[in-house]
Amino acid sequence: MNKLLFRVIGFWILLLPFHAHAVLTIEITGGSEAALPIAVVPFGSEGFAAPEDISEVIRNDLASSGRFAPLPKSDLISSPHEKAEINFGDWRLLRSEGLLVGKVSSVDGETYQVQFQLFDVYKSQQLIGKRYQVPASGLRRLAHQISDLVYQTLTGEVGVFSTRLAFVTDMTASDGKKRYTLEVSDADGANPRSVLQSKQPILSPSWSPDGERLAYVSFENGKAEVFVQEMRSGRRDSVAAFKGINSAPAWSPDGKKLALTLSKAGNPEIYVLELATGKLARITHNSQAIDTEPVWMPDGRELVFTSDRGGRPQIYKVSADGGRASRLTFEGRYNASADISPDGRFMAMVHASNGKFYIAVQNLTTGTVQVLTEMGHDESPSFAPNGRIILYATEQNGKGVLAAVSVDGRIHQRLGESGSDVREPAWSPIRK
Amino acid sequence: MKNSIFENIIAGSYSLVLHIGLVALFVMGMNTQTRPVMVQPHVDIVKATVIDENSILAEMVRQQEVEQKQRKAEEDRQKKVDKQLAETEKELARKEQEVLAQQERAKIEQQQRELKAKEQKDKIHKLEQERKVQEQKRLKAEQARIVEEERQQQAEQASLVAEERKQKIEEERRAAEEKKRLAEADRKAEEQRKQDAEKARKLAEEKKRKAEADRKAAELRKVEEERKAQIAEADRLLQESLAQEQREQESRRIAGVVNQYAILIKQRIKRYWIRPTGKSDDLVTTVKVSLIPGGDVKSVIIVKSSGDQIFDRSVENAVFKAAPMPWPTDPEAAAQIKELQINFTATR
Repeated sequence: MNKLLFRVIGFWILLLPFHAHAVLTIEITGGSEAALPIAVVPFGSEGFAAPEDISEVIRNDLASSGRFAPLPKSDLISSPHEKAEINFGDWRLLRSEGLLVGKVSSVDGETYQVQFQLFDVYKSQQLIGKRYQVPASGLRRLAHQISDLVYQTLTGEVGVFSTRLAFVTDMTASDGKKRYTLEVSDADGANPRSVLQSKQPILSPSWSPDGERLAYVSFENGKAEVFVQEMRSGRRDSVAAFKGINSAPAWSPDGKKLALTLSKAGNPEIYVLELATGKLARITHNSQAIDTEPVWMPDGRELVFTSDRGGRPQIYKVSADGGRASRLTFEGRYNASADISPDGRFMAMVHASNGKFYIAVQNLTTGTVQVLTEMGHDESPSFAPNGRIILYATEQNGKGVLAAVSVDGRIHQRLGESGSDVREPAWSPIRK
Repeated sequence: MKNSIFENIIAGSYSLVLHIGLVALFVMGMNTQTRPVMVQPHVDIVKATVIDENSILAEMVRQQEVEQKQRKAEEDRQKKVDKQLAETEKELARKEQEVLAQQERAKIEQQQRELKAKEQKDKIHKLEQERKVQEQKRLKAEQARIVEEERQQQAEQASLVAEERKQKIEEERRAAEEKKRLAEADRKAEEQRKQDAEKARKLAEEKKRKAEADRKAAELRKVEEERKAQIAEADRLLQESLAQEQREQESRRIAGVVNQYAILIKQRIKRYWIRPTGKSDDLVTTVKVSLIPGGDVKSVIIVKSSGDQIFDRSVENAVFKAAPMPWPTDPEAAAQIKELQINFTATR
């Protein structure tokens, strides 16, 4: 009987939580970082063929970011262009979190009115909506801007679709000679424009923080010189033409200085050039080794560069005022060509392994290194201004191409379609 | 002995005669109403038959003395009552007459009496003779009778002795018997007493035993009742426990179902949760989810925001996208599932 009683009491104790009628609580951790499903409904165009398929540009932007998974067009149940036409239930069935609708109308022959609305499908609620009037030539750029808004609205991060890419192409002209071109394209690699053409090699384009200028290395004068070129005016100045090598320019975060590699002292060393005054400061003093490829930390206080002072190329960090450098990379025998994410948390680099070169990312906080690419011919990593994507150059069928990979290595993409070799890409900052 | 009886008889006879005589005299005297002195001659007569003269004489003397005394007293009294006498003279004279007449009658009567006395004397003589003969005969008979009586007495005596002995024996026997009886009685009494005592003891014992039995029975009853009560209580508890257990089993079953569905719901929501990348790992959003039968989402309320709007939305959308949730057929399980609290944590 006591046992029974004990059991009874025992059960009661055991069952107490159930009898407390606590609300059932579920713990969910993680979840996936998969692409967000979004329905991008082709914009209505009221019976005319718009010069740009805006919705298609947006669709591609979102898809290329790796952050979105636009529904295949074939899955789109209906084609609403404004809220009144939307049956949200349909879109819920498709598990689409976002729904982008819009339309393009012609104001006159040259001007178009574009409007869009982004909806939260499950709340049947508009998240953002805008209306623009643009010339036909501005339609594509507008599409990227809308992509940025959608991206930012749904991810909370800055969109980079309106940014640009700078890169160098080279092709063999009909006369059998090489032609080098510095080009700037949309962030998706589309719409490339030539900034500079030369029969001599062009290297290492670097965007000023305001996105208005490019610094690069040109051999047009028979040797490596550093130029700064204004994007709008096309005006260009040689800023470093010292004896020896002048290379690897990198803009300071405030846009007032360039970090450079100069061998004017006989050995490639890191210098900082104050653009306004031309004042030059030598940062490294290691005559036995090559120090090159400097980049700035986002706070502008430190420089990261490549050096073989340890026997093999590794990445080091040094104060922007000079001083003792400290080594950052320890994994593998070759690490070079660093780029620092805008938040300063990650460093992208070329990481050699078994004679092949990969893009890797090192967490600067933890020191962990993650190799992001697989092909093994990768170079010149450059962070997107939101830090989510790393642009780099690689080789495909013996030809240089642009590619991008997400910082987590999940999303890979090829950028641009070009018949020429593409090298030395640089991602522009957000246009102010 | 013989003699004394005999003498007694004779004396008795004499005495009888004397008495008869005296009575006669007295009657005569009374009849004459003479002076006492006149009675004397009769005394003389009687004298003749005195056997014990002295005693009679003495008696006579004594009587004379008495008489004298009486006379004297009478005389004194006469003297005293002379006067009364004179007064009563006439009376006396009348009485004298009467006395004369009386005397006359007495003379006649005297004669008759004398005659009668003679006759009587003869008769007495004769009677005496007869009596003597008869006496003789009677004596003989008496003797014989006495002998016989003696014999009888002896026999009787013997018989008596025998009888006595017998009686004695009998008495002894009786005494013995009595004794025996008494002893027996005593024994019996003792036995009885013993029996009584035994009986009493047994009774007491029985009583005690009965009391004990009663007590035990009562105790047993009590124990039985207690046992029954315990059984009933145990049964009740068992029933209660069984019911409880059933309820608990039901609760556990439901809890199991709820758990199972909680897991299914969790898995389903997790599958649909697209967490925004590049966010801090320590983001946590708590939502209260209300479901409608069938598992569709009625509402998702953010109870505690992560502070990140995008993260919060991903959570809300995860819940909405997971709908319809796995929905138990069991209504109680469903009732427990229709309100959920879900904590979403960004941690990879």
